[in-house]
Amino acid sequence: MSQERIVLGVIGDDIHVVGNRIIQLALEESGYRVFNLRARNRPEHFYQAALEVNAQAVFVSSLNGEGEYWCSDFRKPFIDLGIPDTLLYIGGNLVVGKRDRGDVLRLFKQYGFDRVYHQEPDIGVAIADLRNDLGHGKAKR
Amino acid sequence: MLDSAGADFIPLTIDSYTRQNQYDIAAELLERSEEKQSSFLNGYPLVVHGWELTRELYRDLNKPVSLRHGTPDARLLVEVALASGIAEIEGGGLCYCIPYSEGFPLDRCLLYWQYVDRICAVHSTDEAPIHRESFGPLTATMVPPAIALAVQVVEALLAAEQGVLSFAASFGQTGSTIQDIATARVLRTLIRRYLDRFDFGHVRSYLVFHQWMGQFPTERSKAAALIACAAQNACVIGADKIVVKTVDEALGVPDPEVNADAVESVRYVFDRFRWVEPVTSTSIEAEIDLIESETVGILEAIFDLPGDVFWESVHRAFQTGLIDVPYSPHADNANRLVSMRDANGSIRIKDPGHVPISEGDLKREHGLLALREDLDGADPSFRRLLHDIGIMA
Ligand code: B12
Repeated sequence: MSQERIVLGVIGDDIHVVGNRIIQLALEESGYRVFNLRARNRPEHFYQAALEVNAQAVFVSSLNGEGEYWCSDFRKPFIDLGIPDTLLYIGGNLVVGKRDRGDVLRLFKQYGFDRVYHQEPDIGVAIADLRNDLGHGKAKR
Repeated sequence: MLDSAGADFIPLTIDSYTRQNQYDIAAELLERSEEKQSSFLNGYPLVVHGWELTRELYRDLNKPVSLRHGTPDARLLVEVALASGIAEIEGGGLCYCIPYSEGFPLDRCLLYWQYVDRICAVHSTDEAPIHRESFGPLTATMVPPAIALAVQVVEALLAAEQGVLSFAASFGQTGSTIQDIATARVLRTLIRRYLDRFDFGHVRSYLVFHQWMGQFPTERSKAAALIACAAQNACVIGADKIVVKTVDEALGVPDPEVNADAVESVRYVFDRFRWVEPVTSTSIEAEIDLIESETVGILEAIFDLPGDVFWESVHRAFQTGLIDVPYSPHADNANRLVSMRDANGSIRIKDPGHVPISEGDLKREHGLLALREDLDGADPSFRRLLHDIGIMA
């Protein structure tokens, strides 16, 4: 069976790559093929890469809080490109400053993300969710 | 507010767009923040605000303001800062490029910082020097002390070459008190030794300690304990200055009240737990010996590299992996060095990559690592890395 493919990267002018390196390793150790865009990416880097490698899921990180600015309507280009079912996950410190957790989760769901991990240090949770979501295929959403 | 809480200097932290010279976006987000009454900027957009407004902001303050940024090309930013009356400039060609940039060419960064050092020197007088300070924590993640110290000495020499009169070397709390004490001692000795050796004896040098710069605990009670213990370590090593974190570090950009609380708690530790005698032990002495030997080895190897001027040798050192910073986002960073924590929590070099660590020193590193027991656990390796990175979290 061919490996499932994940596009991974940090959005905005954000250079926090510690989590990025760890997530790559964790995904690889869980059997996924990772295409790592590393730091400082615009939204188009993600959907272009997803299209090119035919990714099942996209993992976006925002640690310095620029996510709020860059991610609005993140799903739309995926739909326009004909890959509307790509799983979209985001994690890190998603907004600048402190804000109600529920509000942050709602905001990013509204942007089109399937799953949102705001200040959730254990990447194991997301990987379990990913396995689950991929198992359910597109019927899930 | 920081002023009344007892801070001796006031940090001014710059937003991440200004750091990448994206002034248009910073201006747009400043406007949006003002419109929506909610912050879209993670720092102060100094270039957009300009020097007149900034000078006004600090007019009644009798304390030095310290510019903290992380900008590879800080020429305009520092010009505006100096015009605003700011007299402490953090950064350097290595320390503000390797941890903060994914692709800014290091040679250009070294040249731009040569310009920054020079304008700081030009605006200095003996009585009122513009202070230059390096950023020793680098990525704040598993950086072996010898790497951080080599960068500090290199940047001290580069600044002194341009005529800087006052230079502060710094390092970040390592996660091990033994290693903190040892690192401070070696840093102080080597900065002085190398400045003197190259005829920069007139340059004043200081030691700055950064409280734990890595992954912070999310619980405020633990964060508060970490901040207090870090303050105690700063006392023990006799730091000239300490850069303070807040209990909200893991949660987001702290507001002014939280910042003031942090300064107050550190002030409390300084006043109540003043330490006067040097602390020592056999493991501290062994650590000092090892870090010094490694740092000297790296520095001498850099001096031996070809180059018409010093910064060219420094550039080559980075290209060839003699300087290798773990978890650097920079595409040209070698990423060959592998570090790990030992049983005491000290950062050890497991594989030096191309960093010139002598066989004897590497043997000592491995000997200390061998004392750690959980190294061959069944965990996937990402969990082991997370444990070492987040040792304080
Ligand atoms: C280390 C660090 C740095 C290092 C980074 C080194 C490097 N090149 O990576 C240095 C010192 C250089 C740095 C610089 C800056 N930093 Co910083 N930094 C941190 C710190 C202390 C730890 C981050 C870290 O490495 N954690 C360890 C890793 C393993 O965890 P992680 O990154 O959170 O990732 C895990 C999870 O979040 C999750 N995850 C992450 N992404 C995703 C994505 C998906 C899909 C999923 C499922 C999960 C997931 O899984 C990861 C693995 O477990 C944090 C505060 C903290 N958390 O304690 C601040 C922090 C992230 N930094 C911050 C800021 C603002 C900056 C600066 C802008 C400077 C400043 N103003 O202080 C600059 C950045 C400039 C820029 N262009 O971005 C802020 C962000 C504020 C916000 N969002 O509101 C924080 C929160 C500190 C603070 N309280 O101010 N920083």
